[in-house]
Amino acid sequence: MIQVQGISKSFAGQPVLRDLSFEVPDARITALLGANGAGKTSCLRILCGLLRAETGQVLVGGIDPAREPQGVRRQLGVVGDREGLYERLTVVEYLDIFARMQGLSGAALKSALASVCEELELQSLWRRRMGGFSQGERMKVSLARALVHRPKHLILDEPTRGLDVLAVRLLRRTLLRLRSAGTAILFSSHVMPEVAELSDRVLVMSQGRIVGRGAPDELIAETGSENLEDSFVALAYGERTRMAEEVV
Amino acid sequence: MRGAKGNAKAMLQLKLMLPLLRKEFLEAWRDRRALIMAVSFALLFPAMIAGGSTFMIKKKAEEVTRVAVLGGAQAPLLTEKLDGPGFEVVSLDDGEPRSLLGQGYQLVLVVGDEFDQRYRDFLAPPLYVYVDSSNTSSGRAQRQLQDRLAALQQLVVTQRLVARGVATQVLAPWKLEVRDVSTPSARGALLLAMVPGLLILTLFVASLATSVDTSAGERERLSLETLLLQPLAAWQIITAKMLAVASLGWLGALMSITALVLLMPLMPLAELGIQQATTLSGVFTMGLLLLPLALLVAVLQILLALRSQSFKDAQTQLSILQIAPLVLLMALDMAQVSLEGSWQLVPLVSHQQWLKDLLVGEVVSVPAMLAGSAVTLLCVVAAVLLGAKALRRESLLSAA
Repeated sequence: MIQVQGISKSFAGQPVLRDLSFEVPDARITALLGANGAGKTSCLRILCGLLRAETGQVLVGGIDPAREPQGVRRQLGVVGDREGLYERLTVVEYLDIFARMQGLSGAALKSALASVCEELELQSLWRRRMGGFSQGERMKVSLARALVHRPKHLILDEPTRGLDVLAVRLLRRTLLRLRSAGTAILFSSHVMPEVAELSDRVLVMSQGRIVGRGAPDELIAETGSENLEDSFVALAYGERTRMAEEVV
Repeated sequence: MRGAKGNAKAMLQLKLMLPLLRKEFLEAWRDRRALIMAVSFALLFPAMIAGGSTFMIKKKAEEVTRVAVLGGAQAPLLTEKLDGPGFEVVSLDDGEPRSLLGQGYQLVLVVGDEFDQRYRDFLAPPLYVYVDSSNTSSGRAQRQLQDRLAALQQLVVTQRLVARGVATQVLAPWKLEVRDVSTPSARGALLLAMVPGLLILTLFVASLATSVDTSAGERERLSLETLLLQPLAAWQIITAKMLAVASLGWLGALMSITALVLLMPLMPLAELGIQQATTLSGVFTMGLLLLPLALLVAVLQILLALRSQSFKDAQTQLSILQIAPLVLLMALDMAQVSLEGSWQLVPLVSHQQWLKDLLVGEVVSVPAMLAGSAVTLLCVVAAVLLGAKALRRESLLSAA
């Protein structure tokens, strides 16, 4: 489980996150929604230990990433907002290297590599260098890297951006299987139908705050909207309009 | 018990670092552009030195001063005595000095109309030397001709005085002889003086592309963020990157040394009075000496590139950085600073001195080399720690 309690963060005096609190339970898919600049990426980076919160506390599987970043990274799989691939490495070299960095070796390593290769259908790419891969292929390899050490927590920053239908289907299938296996999954996205279909819980962020939370159906009912997109607009932009009015 | 636990932890850290090292080396050594740059520069400068010295010798051997003498019939002895090695004297009946200078003659010597009669009457007949000072070789040719004429003049004076019973010693209170006491290795040092600086420059140039790619490049491609998400300490990431970058710089420098030593027998060093004095142990020592410096250069380049705003910015900054040490070394050379004592502990400065000595077969103090290398390695450790700190900067992440 990931627990976030009252975190705040600012850059150059500009607040990006304000007293943010939420939980990402095990065996659940939690979606983080927000307009550009809402603070989603900063929030995810704090969970990974790449940024430090100014106030509050984060616990990933009971470990504080600010105090023990390496401990958190062992039980975390992350797919960032860009894939972070190395174009001069083959897929197998890339996955082998990152699996070993996570401490895998011997039979466990072999089994982990075979498992991600099969699950993410990487056979045809396995021995190819990654330069020139399509967006879908890049995302598959990046996801394989995040999953190869079988993390208990998975964080994905806009994972479906630029993917074709087949790649989205594969991603969806993988996430559902991981949920069944007990993984706590947190992902940010702008694609509402996908969020509605995949997520158990939705967190709506605006101006660095959580302005709505609950199951997709609950949020739709709460805002009296017809679908999740309308509900998101009402929560995120309604909040923004309200804050602007308060300032005036 | 605590010691065993510490050792196990250190072993685990090392085990986790090995795949990172593999990644960095694969990335660096598969970068064709960086390899071509490293190899090209490493081989180019020894080839330039070999070619340059051969050209110099050839030019020197073929250097003949062509002198046209107008009115030479008036002074046949003069024309005859001027001819000799390095001088091609052509006696012409007529011609215009300016046009003759444009026809391949460096000098035109004009003998006056009444030279013969005035010479006999001891009336100091004039000789006119025409020279085109815009021609680069004219100065040397003019000096040579003046020297020859002065020697000839001295001979004539001596003969005239002897004929009148005057002892020539009266006119020559001393006899000047110039003796060159330089050793072959010292003359070699003069010719090879630029080599240490170029070897150090090779460390920078050969590793530049890789250092930018592995730091500013990774940052721009956001793969650095992926790396920072692994359970590795920041110093391990910097160390792995430094080793990969240094491997290219060091290889470049080793290739340069090897090429230089292999090309030396083909260079006309003997004709310059230089004997090849670089020993095998000297070559081996040079290679070892350059290793800590390669590490320092690599980590400094990575540090600077990490501080840059973009890939392009990093390239610009590192291009300036690679010129800086050469300027420093040249400035020290020009200022003729005595580089003894504590200078031997200063990286770059000490390396330049040691390389210079080893190239010409001089003995270099082993304790001094060990102490200097230890100081260089200490600088490497400090730079790695600074690099690790830089990796922890939040501003390193793109959106931050």
